[in-house]
Amino acid sequence: MRAVASVGVRAGVRADLRAGASEAARSPHALDRETCGGATSASATTASATSASATTAPATDRQRRGATDAALAVRLDGIAKRFGRELVLRDLRLEMAAGKIAVLKGSNGAGKTTLLRVLATRLRPTRGRGWVFGYELQRQGDEVRRRIGLVSALGGNYPVLTARENLRLAATLSGLENADLDGALAGVGLTDVADTLVRTYSSGMKKRLGLARLLLLDPPLWLMDEPYAALDENGKALLDDVLAAARGRDRTVVMASHELERSARFADAVLELAGGSLRRSGP
Amino acid sequence: MSGLGAGLAADVAADVAADVAAVVTIARKDLLQEVRSRAVTVATLFFSAVTLVMMAFAMGQDAELLRRSAPGVLWVALAFAGVITAAQSYQSDLEEGAFDQLLLYPVPRASVFLGKLLANWLFLLALGLLMTPVTLVLYGAPAGPSAWLLPVTLMLGTLGFAVVATFYAALTANLQAREALLPVLMFPVVVPVLLGAVRSSEALIGLQNTVLAGGWLQLLAAFDLVYFVACTAVFHLVVEE
Amino acid sequence: MSQRHEAPARPRWLRMLGLSTLILFGVGAYLALAVSPPDVNQGQLIRMMYAHVSVAWVSFVAVIVTALYGMAFLWRGRPVDDARAVANAEIATFFAALTLVSGMTYSKPTLNTWWTWDAKLTLTALMFALLVGYFVVRGLIDDPTRRGRVSAVIGVIVAVSLPFNYLAAAWFRTLHPTLSVAVTGVTMAPIMLVVLLFNVGVAALVYLTFVSERVRIARLEHARLETRERREGDTPGEVVRV
Repeated sequence: MRAVASVGVRAGVRADLRAGASEAARSPHALDRETCGGATSASATTASATSASATTAPATDRQRRGATDAALAVRLDGIAKRFGRELVLRDLRLEMAAGKIAVLKGSNGAGKTTLLRVLATRLRPTRGRGWVFGYELQRQGDEVRRRIGLVSALGGNYPVLTARENLRLAATLSGLENADLDGALAGVGLTDVADTLVRTYSSGMKKRLGLARLLLLDPPLWLMDEPYAALDENGKALLDDVLAAARGRDRTVVMASHELERSARFADAVLELAGGSLRRSGP
Repeated sequence: MSGLGAGLAADVAADVAADVAAVVTIARKDLLQEVRSRAVTVATLFFSAVTLVMMAFAMGQDAELLRRSAPGVLWVALAFAGVITAAQSYQSDLEEGAFDQLLLYPVPRASVFLGKLLANWLFLLALGLLMTPVTLVLYGAPAGPSAWLLPVTLMLGTLGFAVVATFYAALTANLQAREALLPVLMFPVVVPVLLGAVRSSEALIGLQNTVLAGGWLQLLAAFDLVYFVACTAVFHLVVEE
Repeated sequence: MSQRHEAPARPRWLRMLGLSTLILFGVGAYLALAVSPPDVNQGQLIRMMYAHVSVAWVSFVAVIVTALYGMAFLWRGRPVDDARAVANAEIATFFAALTLVSGMTYSKPTLNTWWTWDAKLTLTALMFALLVGYFVVRGLIDDPTRRGRVSAVIGVIVAVSLPFNYLAAAWFRTLHPTLSVAVTGVTMAPIMLVVLLFNVGVAALVYLTFVSERVRIARLEHARLETRERREGDTPGEVVRV
């Protein structure tokens, strides 16, 4: 029975890591067990611990809202985002269960990237609240960030580092010991260029590296911004496989994309962002 | 009960160790990037050289004036180098959206700041160590007997510049403000560093007033401490959107 | 399509405050210009001192208050705290500018130079530069919450910089002992002290009037913005379930 240090949420990670193996702790099941329903010892003790650490809040919050909410990967309640005079997102309400794949469609400038960034806690919404696996975006950002991965439109790489170095950095900063960098690189077909600077890569290769990073960190919620863009046919097929595998491994995916035909194969829902409002279109 | 306490202490210690490791990782990344791209090295070396030479020409007719202005010119050049260094340290992060990724890792914001600060400081320190003998030669300033103060002054002075520059550079980078805004914001804050560093550096030109220099060094140290703590504490407020 | 708003009238207490400030300003000016005897050393120029010192003191107080309201905003997140911080920053900037101008007007006739590196004047100049930076940064941020938070950070830095800049400027001066006239010298007659304190009080009243009116305007602007935003975002979105 370990009391969670009031130093904060990272102690929770450490408890996870000590309780289970390094990568196993980040596997879908351990994380799902902790976030949904609070059945593990870590969460149980936090509920009874006296400290005002952030991890106590979600347990009681979830208990109040009931078991169904705890299974929600994403919940948005009245999210609005204004840029200057323009209201880009208006009163978004979304309830997304874990393990679902949603494709976000909308014309350029409709706010898809904005929504993804709000979910990634990079943007603070003008109004409204949001939760990822029960953790509030604005108040429990650290916990949210532990559970998400972002594949941004720009790639998110350091041009003056190699692919391997980029991945190693990601692994180190995410607390992953003995991460399988080679495997991740091979998985996206970058083994040959693993040790050349990203600066020399084509945009498709940079996108693949971003994908490799996501696969390496393997968080429960994937936020992807136009992942198909700039990929060649092989790359797109690769991404298809990755997404199909994601469904099998219970990953939750929110993907902004214009490739509706391709994504329709594995998407659970197509959401349309237009005029700042979110609607369900299609299946 | 003591088991609980030991567990807590271990958790805290492990957290601190992890944060420190993150700081080192980020600093190493920044320095590695610089070693490879040399963008800042070239810019700062060139700019400093130009400053030293131009100022020497401007004041050259009077050998005594030239000698006495050595510390001042050195530190003004370092101040501008600090601006260039800090501004660039965020550019490569922002280029391809790597900064967003950096902020997504379960690493405290303060560690990101400290990592960049460490890299910028070490770089400025190296630049200062290089430029000092160059200034000595160019300005005909023999190192006086109190020259041992110089490394201390360099360390404290460059740290002061690095803290404020790294902090404000995050602010301007995130705001996508013009690069010219950074010195405008920074310089009124670092005036004490400039003054303190120049006065302590007068050991360069043989002024043997170590007592006075010591006083200025204390001001430098106090400044560094206060701003180090303050900037680290509020960094998270300037990088979030 | 915006409608023309009739701004609500200024509340009575504020009108009274403004009026009394105006009257007392007149009294203070009269005291400074007519009642106060000319200084033994500086003659008529001492009358500038009353304006100079009073705005200087108030500007420094205003900067500290800016930082305090900034911290309050960080803590409680209420927009009115940010509005108060801005109001204080505005008056601080204005009074700092007045301090600099009056200081320069003062030194030209007495010391035959537009600028002396007087410690307090240098500090004021640096503070003025920092306050300008405060407003430049504010102008770059659209989102009110983020703007408030970043402003608060800068406000705190400005306040923290005061002791360091003062020390630096003071020590700097000891190395450049140029002539400096003691503004409030030993030879100040008691009547002059009274006039000075009265004018400081007047400056403080001007400060209070300005800040109150400024915050009132900010509140109205905020309210108008809120109603417009609420009208825009009126239609609640449907809940999308996946």
